[in-house]
Amino acid sequence: MTIELFGMARELVGAPSVRLDVDEPVPLRSVLEELAAQYPQLVGQVLAPLTHAPLDPNVVLLDGRRAHGLDEPVSDADRPCLLFLPSGG
Amino acid sequence: MRLIPRLAPAACAELLSVDLTSERVERAPYPLTAARLGGVSVAVELLASAIGGPLDPLSPENPLVFAPGPFAGTAVPAATKHAVATISPLTGRLTDGLSSSHWSGALRRLGLSALIVQGARANWTVLAIDDTGVRFLDGTALLGLSPAQTTQRLREMLGGRHWRVAAIGPAGESGVRFATIDNDGRQAGRGGAGAVMGSKRLKAIALASGTDSAFEIADPERVQTISRALRERALGPDTAKYRVLGTGANLRVLQRMGMLPTRNFSSASFEGAERVTPERAREEPEAYLERRSGCANCPVQCEHMYVRRTRDRKAASASEYESVWAFGPNCGVDDLDAVLDAVGRCDAYGLDTISAGGTIAFAMECAARGLIDVDAFGTPLRFGNAAVLAPAIDAIACGEGLGATLGLGVRAAAEAIGGGAEVLALHVKGLELPGYEPRALPTYALALAVCTRGACHNRAAAYDVDLRNPGQVLPDEARAAAVIDAEDTAIAWDALVLCKFTRHCFDDFWSEGATLWSAVTGEPLDPAGLRDVARRTWQRKRALNEKLGWTPAEDVLPVRLGEPLREGPYAGARIDSASLERQRWIYETLRS
Repeated sequence: MTIELFGMARELVGAPSVRLDVDEPVPLRSVLEELAAQYPQLVGQVLAPLTHAPLDPNVVLLDGRRAHGLDEPVSDADRPCLLFLPSGG
Repeated sequence: MRLIPRLAPAACAELLSVDLTSERVERAPYPLTAARLGGVSVAVELLASAIGGPLDPLSPENPLVFAPGPFAGTAVPAATKHAVATISPLTGRLTDGLSSSHWSGALRRLGLSALIVQGARANWTVLAIDDTGVRFLDGTALLGLSPAQTTQRLREMLGGRHWRVAAIGPAGESGVRFATIDNDGRQAGRGGAGAVMGSKRLKAIALASGTDSAFEIADPERVQTISRALRERALGPDTAKYRVLGTGANLRVLQRMGMLPTRNFSSASFEGAERVTPERAREEPEAYLERRSGCANCPVQCEHMYVRRTRDRKAASASEYESVWAFGPNCGVDDLDAVLDAVGRCDAYGLDTISAGGTIAFAMECAARGLIDVDAFGTPLRFGNAAVLAPAIDAIACGEGLGATLGLGVRAAAEAIGGGAEVLALHVKGLELPGYEPRALPTYALALAVCTRGACHNRAAAYDVDLRNPGQVLPDEARAAAVIDAEDTAIAWDALVLCKFTRHCFDDFWSEGATLWSAVTGEPLDPAGLRDVARRTWQRKRALNEKLGWTPAEDVLPVRLGEPLREGPYAGARIDSASLERQRWIYETLRS
């Protein structure tokens, strides 16, 4: 599964997207746990230390809408992306 | 030159009134009470009390009010800021802006709760204010200088770097209706306060104060404790996107979400977004030099400035999202260097980048439809032509040729151009739209329509409601209530004048903000009291606009937004005027 990264997630990982080896569909929780395992630098900055849920203002979008919760099943077709909520300027 | 009696050095709560016509200077007690706080609430209160009815914003009768935040010059981080309020020459209605840094701190350390400037000079003048009084200096030699150059020259004239300067650039001198007032490289940008200052022939206001606070902190230990905690959080993940990347990082995200206004809002997706994002400069350190900057006493230092390594580092330009969007996607330009040059040019002239970019995008579309001369600036005035940005900005700032018409802003320019140009003018109440796509952000759309300032994204930041749940369908009542809450929250921030970039550093802003106020001033304030100030200030804003002639018919969105988006995740989304009117009616009912 490919996850697009934006903002601090991209900055910390150093790439615009990452490929995770997971069986699809998979709960979002498992995707984020795998992401945290492969890129521990995200933990505490973009992902919460214990739950690995996105830390505000970061969110996961699936097909352009916000994921309903960590149990929502995700597949590559959802074009998941980890980004931050834009503001100000 | 005229010297007035010495200002009380420790007074923290005085209003300084300066009449430029008569040279009359008055000081009067004006305490920062819990009922008025500071910043925007004070500036709006003073402005409203000084205005009796409709007026020409560029006449001497239009007051210009500066009010520091109550925490300016204290240890509270990201709070050394001030509000500016006047009647906008773009909208004919209230414009309330914010700026920040050393000038804000100096205003507060001079013991002032506000400075109100009225009247006009016969000749260009500088106000120099320190603890010996107010002087009226000849400003003729400063004409044509940028705000930065003006600051440097005034420091040489007045004798030291401790002088803090708020100045207009050439655009303010020539009356461009979206001219800014600049201090310390920051701008009170939107709505044309710089044109108002220019109409008074006031080139600059220079302040000098001691470096220590001229007022006592009620509970210094508590203020230090809270400030330390805020500072630590402001150096953590809560502000990382601003601190590490800057607001320019919004561009990639909005493009990915299909919410990036492009080519004068004819689309919400820009194929050249990746080439013009400021993050590109950051990711190419071999090609671009990055400089960091920010406001006084702010740990975030959000301003990321870039310049090609082949150029002088002093030519580095700010890369804030709105500025880059205005000259990039909104003009269809994908040349990052040209966009950065346009931003730097606006800062030197003292021009609001959002209005300047919006006006050029409007002109590009007018030219495409044959309404104006496509070669007015020597190179085609066409979407995507990076080369036209510089000559267009130069002509606007100097009021030359078509630039003089564009310098009126899109609403008045459309009236002057005629031929149906009005439908190409993207504004609310005369203020040009910022870089968030209202058709994809319906709560934000309502907030834009009802905003007392016109199309300002910061007086409510209601886009946050939509972005947190993209595509969510809200009942009209809930949407109207969300806008009211967003407006009141923004007013509370702007009355305490805390930087909104630190909002995630507070667990409960209403409670913590009130506590901070009480610790600094000794005046009791609870969350309900803070909300009361916000509501009262909104009522004052509305009442002032009513006095100036506002009617509900002004609370509408541009015709173009009624056309559906043609592509992207929000294809088909449009602003339905009947639906907007229903929401606006509910909003009014809830407000009343």
